[in-house]
Amino acid sequence: MIALLRSHLFAILAVLAPCLLVAAETRAAVANSPAPLPSADSIVRVNSTNQSFNFGRPWTKKPPFNRRGIGVVIDGGRVLVTAEMIANHTYVELELPVSSGKVAADVESVDYESNLAILKPQDPKFLDGTKPVQLGKDVQVGTRVSVLQLENTGAVALTPAVVTTVSVGNYPADGIALLTYRLSAPLQYRDNSFTMPVFLGDRLAGLLMRYETRSQSADIVPDVVIANFLARIAKPPYRGISRAGITFSPTRDPQFRRYLGMKKGQAGVYVVSVAHAAAAEKAGLKKADVVMSVGGHEIDEDGNYENSDYGKIPFSHLISTANLPGGELPMTVLRNGHTIDLKLPLEPRDLSKVISEPMVLDRAPRYYILGGLVFQELSRSFLREWGSDWKNDAPARLTYLDEFQDELPPDRGKIVFLSQVLPADTTVGYDDVAEIIVEKINGRTIRCLEDVAEAAKHPIDGFQKVELESDPGVLYLDAKEVSETADQLRDSYGLPALDNLGDPETKAVP
Amino acid sequence: MTQFFRAAIFLLPLISAFLSDTQAATSDLIRRSLVRIQTVSQEADYSTPWNPGSVEESIGTGFVVADDRILTNAHVVSNARVIWITREGDANRYRARIQHIAHDCDLAVLVPSNPDFFKGMLPLDFNGIPALESNVMVYGYPIGGDRASVTRGIVSRVEFQEYSHSGADSHLVIQIDAAINPGNSGGPVVQDGKVIGVAFQGYSGDVAQNTGYMIPTTVIKRFLTDIADGRYDHYVDLAITTFPLYNSAARRALGLPDDGQGVMVSDIYGGGSADGILKPRDVILTIDGHAVASDGTVELDDSNVQMAEVVERKFKGDKVDLGLIRDGRPLKLTIPLTEPFPFNIFANAYDVKPRYVLFGGLVFQPLSEDFVNATTLKNSRTRYYYDHFLENDLYKERPEIVILSNILSDPVNAYADEFYQSIVDTINGAKIKTLDDVADALAKPSEYYVIEFLGASRPLVLEAKAVAAARDRIRSRYGVAKESNLKP
Repeated sequence: MIALLRSHLFAILAVLAPCLLVAAETRAAVANSPAPLPSADSIVRVNSTNQSFNFGRPWTKKPPFNRRGIGVVIDGGRVLVTAEMIANHTYVELELPVSSGKVAADVESVDYESNLAILKPQDPKFLDGTKPVQLGKDVQVGTRVSVLQLENTGAVALTPAVVTTVSVGNYPADGIALLTYRLSAPLQYRDNSFTMPVFLGDRLAGLLMRYETRSQSADIVPDVVIANFLARIAKPPYRGISRAGITFSPTRDPQFRRYLGMKKGQAGVYVVSVAHAAAAEKAGLKKADVVMSVGGHEIDEDGNYENSDYGKIPFSHLISTANLPGGELPMTVLRNGHTIDLKLPLEPRDLSKVISEPMVLDRAPRYYILGGLVFQELSRSFLREWGSDWKNDAPARLTYLDEFQDELPPDRGKIVFLSQVLPADTTVGYDDVAEIIVEKINGRTIRCLEDVAEAAKHPIDGFQKVELESDPGVLYLDAKEVSETADQLRDSYGLPALDNLGDPETKAVP
Repeated sequence: MTQFFRAAIFLLPLISAFLSDTQAATSDLIRRSLVRIQTVSQEADYSTPWNPGSVEESIGTGFVVADDRILTNAHVVSNARVIWITREGDANRYRARIQHIAHDCDLAVLVPSNPDFFKGMLPLDFNGIPALESNVMVYGYPIGGDRASVTRGIVSRVEFQEYSHSGADSHLVIQIDAAINPGNSGGPVVQDGKVIGVAFQGYSGDVAQNTGYMIPTTVIKRFLTDIADGRYDHYVDLAITTFPLYNSAARRALGLPDDGQGVMVSDIYGGGSADGILKPRDVILTIDGHAVASDGTVELDDSNVQMAEVVERKFKGDKVDLGLIRDGRPLKLTIPLTEPFPFNIFANAYDVKPRYVLFGGLVFQPLSEDFVNATTLKNSRTRYYYDHFLENDLYKERPEIVILSNILSDPVNAYADEFYQSIVDTINGAKIKTLDDVADALAKPSEYYVIEFLGASRPLVLEAKAVAAARDRIRSRYGVAKESNLKP
């Protein structure tokens, strides 16, 4: 099992003599001259207090918890950490390796897709005397790097590591796969281990995001993903990682190839679906096209291309990381036996068109309470409240709609559902109704919580009539009673407000 | 969790009840009508459907009823290959066969191959629903010894409950606190010398103590009446769901007074008895003249029971009279009980072989309770289609959800893994609504078999030549005795 690096990850507290010499053996090293080493001048301790929202009770937050890691000082008086480290943060503080006190920090930028964030100390003088690091380059399979940790004394502890695999792998955010370096590294437990920098000489090779104790293997966010992130935030407005918005299938199956009329040796992947309003749709890509090349690189039967540094890796790297958003990539596709040229715009996923958001972070879940009926919009964050096995345990209908949302009509709007009923005088007999999709309220079609709020202003014949997708089909509330008992409902359940219709979309910081 | 007595291991209770002289005499009579049933059964194997399945042996109880028959539970003799019966004081084993079996109410009638079996045995008579707190005796052959056993208890409650044997049918049950253990199944529960129920299910000791259930005589008599014409017609229900009407706003919106009467029709299953007759939001006020309370109960035989109990006591071909409020106006309707609801895939199946089609090493099977219990549904679309089969009317488009249930690995299907457990949508353009459609589509000659699965996925293409070349190889390598079973 791959575990996140939390402070109690390592069972044994041991202090090894840092193997400094091994770390020095890098490809960049010049014979007979000692290679540069990372120094404590380029790092800071980061303590983040985080508090996630409770989607099951959207008006409350869960208990706060701490994450302690090591941030890397980069130019502009900024500190780089993983985004996971500060997700849903309430307070972030920085501390030098040899402490001279703590200083509060702001999150200047965060990109959950590439799992990176920039912190800025509130006291600009705090980083005086530190030395910004440069990004590494030329990391390949076999490159020797070192993972940096801190002793309690502030001394640097370096663990030698070797890059065993360079591949496109899953990131913590759902559905994101970006370049990762996998390291083989025998790490010991130390404090501040949630984020750890990995160095190639004195240059930053990446940030560690996962460590598996049994196989002693670590996945890191590599320098190239960091470089892409820094370039994207350098010029406002901020743009997320570019994505094509397709799913594809390999074309290795010889029977399938003959059926498609593909020639022997002809490469490419079969397009299975194109998401609504996605870049691929704008490019004119269609289901059943065979993508043969992207950006001048030939795509093989499994969807890989030959990268000059890393060998065969999935072609999504060309779209997400190797190029910045804003431009276009030429594509050639095979359609009905003809080769056609398309231009794929490099742009991030448009979250305003997303029916069920993959990840709601750093903002409270939206809800609207009418009588005791609690309405919410479907998001994967809601489904994740069912725990690690949420795909099996969460309500099957909602999980299905979330997973296959691309099959819904593009103008479907959000999926509003009755998440629970707070027992009250208005909701007598409705206590057991939960997790059912709302179709109409007072005859008005519901496509977002604003629709609920608007419809609730127009009761029919003195009733709030809520029409549901399945059993029981309809619920009625006494409109007058609902408005008269609203304060009482709020007080008796300790609700801060009967609705939260705050910002509907994920906004990157800033 | 409810368990069957023949499966679970329980602690062995001792019989401590003191029997008076008259009770002893009755007891002797009852014991002489008891039958020990030993069944060799073979359970279908849904994960390798061409295999005959594993054989097991179990013990249950039965008793003699009128017309030289033996009454027992369906689960005592389900999937039977051989049934042996013995009686008290007779060393011989007799063969028996099933005359009628009703899996929806867990009852069966057996007849011995040799009528001499009944010599000296008296048929037992039935009585009605016993009073709460009244004493009852349970007879049978539970675990802990070979001879007949008797335990005593009182009637704890009378209620509608699920019958675990089918897992999808609910009928009246009577809860008693007498010790009931594995092997008691099918045995008579007796009061004043007459049978008032058949012991059939309970909780294992780590869930609840002294909680045993029996099938009441209303259900037993209905079964015996149903089979009187030589055929079992099953229960026929309205195939609707209702929603209680406690909410005063809902009552006023539906045009009802605040009198605690009536339930709202919330869902009507297409293809069921009420399809095309009832509408969503109809309010049922009366059923066969019995007033329906807002919690969905009616008063029947001086006790409050679910209104379904009224329909329960009827037979195929009978009618149900409903008094409704529709759109604020009163209305009287009659619903004929024509056929049992045909799309119930959630009931455990017995005495049938799994349906499947094997083609090019691909195994196609329809989703059913037994199949789902034998496998793990990892495909979330398939799981949704199963879970919401009735609720979201998915059966209307697909009476059977046919999936690629297994892949017998072979070069012909080397790239089929990504379709594992996916729902078959079309084959060569033909819509797949049942397993028979799969068999038909694959039987038609074609150069390619193009199988489209539900959802965004490429088609799976098999070349007829490759399938033909792989056929014998797959059959012999995987020991497939038969390539399909389409019989329900």
